[in-house]
Amino acid sequence: MLAVTDVRKSFGGTAAVRSASLTVEAGESVGLIGPNGAGKTTLFRCISGELRPDAGTVAFGGRTLGRMPPWRRARLGIGRTYQRVEVFPELTVLDHLLVADRAPRHRGALWRDLLNRSAPRPTELDRMAAVLAMVGLEAVADRPVGALGLGTCRLVELARAVVAGPRLLLADEPSSGLDGDETASLASVLRALQRSSGMAVLVVDHDLRLVEAVADRVLVMDLGQVVASGAFDAVMSAPAVRRAYLGTA
Amino acid sequence: MEQLIGFAVPGLPYGCAYAVFAVGLCLTYQTTGVFNFGYGAQAYASAFVFGWLVQYKAWPVWAAFVAAVVVLGPGLGLVLDRFLFRRIPSTNTTAKMVTGLSLLVGIPALLPVLFGNENVVGVPSVAFDPNTVYFHLFGLAVVPVNGIVLSAVVLAVAILVVLVLLLRVTFLGLEMRAAVESRRLVQLGGVDGDRVTATAWAMSGFMAGLAGVLLAPMQATVQSQDFVTLMVAAIAAAAWAALRSMPVAAAVGVLLGVASVTLQGYLPTGSIWYSAALPAMPFIVLVAALLTVPGLRRLDASVDPLSTVDPPQPPPVARARAPEIDRVVRTGWWVLLVAFVVSMLTWMPRGWETVLNQGLAYSVIFLSITLLTGTAGQLSLAQATLAGVAAFTAGQLAEHLGLTFLVGGLVGSVLAAAVAAVLALLSMRLRGLGLALMTLAAALLFDAAVFSASSVSGGTGGITIRAAWLGLDLLAPDGHVYFVVALAVLVICTGGVVLVQRGTVGRYLAAMRGSEVGAGGVGVNLPWQRVLVFALSGALAGVGGTLLAVQQTVIAPAAFNYQLSVAFVVVVVTTGVGSVEGAIQAGMGLVVIEELFQYAPPRFEGLTFVLFALGALAYAAHPEGVVELEKRRWTARAERLILRRRHPGSAAVTGES
Repeated sequence: MLAVTDVRKSFGGTAAVRSASLTVEAGESVGLIGPNGAGKTTLFRCISGELRPDAGTVAFGGRTLGRMPPWRRARLGIGRTYQRVEVFPELTVLDHLLVADRAPRHRGALWRDLLNRSAPRPTELDRMAAVLAMVGLEAVADRPVGALGLGTCRLVELARAVVAGPRLLLADEPSSGLDGDETASLASVLRALQRSSGMAVLVVDHDLRLVEAVADRVLVMDLGQVVASGAFDAVMSAPAVRRAYLGTA
Repeated sequence: MEQLIGFAVPGLPYGCAYAVFAVGLCLTYQTTGVFNFGYGAQAYASAFVFGWLVQYKAWPVWAAFVAAVVVLGPGLGLVLDRFLFRRIPSTNTTAKMVTGLSLLVGIPALLPVLFGNENVVGVPSVAFDPNTVYFHLFGLAVVPVNGIVLSAVVLAVAILVVLVLLLRVTFLGLEMRAAVESRRLVQLGGVDGDRVTATAWAMSGFMAGLAGVLLAPMQATVQSQDFVTLMVAAIAAAAWAALRSMPVAAAVGVLLGVASVTLQGYLPTGSIWYSAALPAMPFIVLVAALLTVPGLRRLDASVDPLSTVDPPQPPPVARARAPEIDRVVRTGWWVLLVAFVVSMLTWMPRGWETVLNQGLAYSVIFLSITLLTGTAGQLSLAQATLAGVAAFTAGQLAEHLGLTFLVGGLVGSVLAAAVAAVLALLSMRLRGLGLALMTLAAALLFDAAVFSASSVSGGTGGITIRAAWLGLDLLAPDGHVYFVVALAVLVICTGGVVLVQRGTVGRYLAAMRGSEVGAGGVGVNLPWQRVLVFALSGALAGVGGTLLAVQQTVIAPAAFNYQLSVAFVVVVVTTGVGSVEGAIQAGMGLVVIEELFQYAPPRFEGLTFVLFALGALAYAAHPEGVVELEKRRWTARAERLILRRRHPGSAAVTGES
């Protein structure tokens, strides 16, 4: 479903991603880990279209994405959460889901607004209610997101990303800023969403417990390259991974 | 060659003033993260005080220089830092811009209040006698170097060298460059961040004063308008330096000053190049920089690492108040509307009816700012220009094709929407400050090259509207017909804006305002939404401009210039940019306060904009607007009162825990 081939990205003279390749199959959950500066977030941003690779290709569903902007990638079925939460503070939780549900379907004609025909439809409300129930946000559905805490905002981002039924979810450090309990809770929600919807997940995180709980397969990046791939336990004992995290004696 | 040098040397004082000013803008931006739109006003204040002290108080030139440049310049910078910019979160670009714009509007309006309405003329040169030729450059008789040229070059070179050395070599310079990323983070490192930025503000204030005093001797009268040309040229120079490289900014500034005066010498007087292209040159240079300099696209990309500790903005009162209060407020609005309509049609004195009619037209224009800035978070400094595009189009269509003025106004509004859409397309890669500069450049370009052309505007006097153009008896002496039409248009436009805000497009725009990255990530078509909201906003401004032109019975360039575009933003921000209530309060408040000041002595004429500028200065602390803030406080009081009646003795009501 997602095929990243030989992607390279440099900033000035610094090569953040040297030559990274990876694949994610439909319905698969993949964790991308590595030490600070390994190039994970840069690679992630190349996949989501926020950065343009210097070389290499990103293909989704058999289609090369090239210079396609992020909003068009989202419409192809790529959902996204962010390391630094990117919510809309003045909109309610429900509004977040409505925006995310309608935008990929091209709903939002001006004439509908001017004729006051933009109220959420029963089918939309049902879909949003189901997602809110899965992530446990029913109680704050009508509250502006600016008034919510960081942990709740991460759940809002997650709900927003999955409400339109993406085929692939890119989760960028979802545990950033959360405590142990919140991270565990988020991991179980993420896993449940992935299993119930059948979407593929590519998650980047420093919290290895979250990655272990969510991912079927783990990729390890170091110095801008993927250095190991496989099941969590096997990968974590691989010499290349130990060297990446612990260095050489 | 002799002729070229002869034309170029008189341009050096302009070039030096542009260079000092451009470097000052870069300095402020680099060391404080603020692009100070009020910089031109600071320069004007120093030049005005300098000339005023010499002319009216007979101070010696050196003493006036010390007072205006060495004391007032840095002093004003320190005051701005201490009481305004220091309080703005480092990531709130809009608050920084609005505060600067308030100063741009407020300071020139305040000076006559403090010093009187007398003109300041014949400002002397600072260091050398302007009437003495000290030497001839290269020994050429056609290139005399007088005191004005010499003062400008010597002072500019000295100040630029000192500044570059200070920033590059000293520890203070290093601290200044670090503080721009995050004053709070620098403080955590043991540096007194407040002292560092205060020093930067004092230095930039000194440079503003110096640039103002350098430019003043070249003008017959010290007028704030001349400092706009200075500011635009300096902004263009600073833009080519991406607000970072001071040597580049200085070089472009000098080049711009010299080139414009040199071209003035070569171009035939009376040609279109002389009358239109030459005045527009700084704006064209600015637009070219905005379109081509990559660094300008990343101006707002830097993020304060500590910005996440800033609290979120509260939602508007209208969305947050309790249902009981909401019912009362809504009923109150309807009662007020009915009372207003009845009053206007029955007992309202004719003079006040005219004033309030004007307020209706302004309210429609201000709704365009509510939609664009309040809903979509995009700042445009060209809304009066767009209003003018529609009004002049209607005038020309009526005059040449015999089209009814109001129909022509609709055509003009479509044209204004198209101009706004083109502006949005041109500035597609710009955000925040870059976008504001692009719209300001467009407004200035229209002022200098389009609205000034007599074939468009009929000259400075404008186009007088004839009753036969209108179809309806809108110019009837009692003003009732105009009132009914204007009110109907305002109600329709208000309803339209509310429906858009509540609809899907409004949610997309609110998402875009909250986080463009997040909105793009869920599939919102950002380029289209941006073009759409600019076009809608342009159309609204056009409709309001047409109404305003009819009310004033003349379509004059002065009613649609860039100053009003800036003032409009300041006025709407004061009353509340997030809601349609704010736009209507701004429209009616502006005309009522202006009318009340008609009864005051002439020197207080500009106090209206001073008041609104003061209101907008509170934007940093209260982005919802001071009027919206007061509404929030009163709403909270009312809610406490209701709760106390329902649940007497409750801890939640009394505030006990």
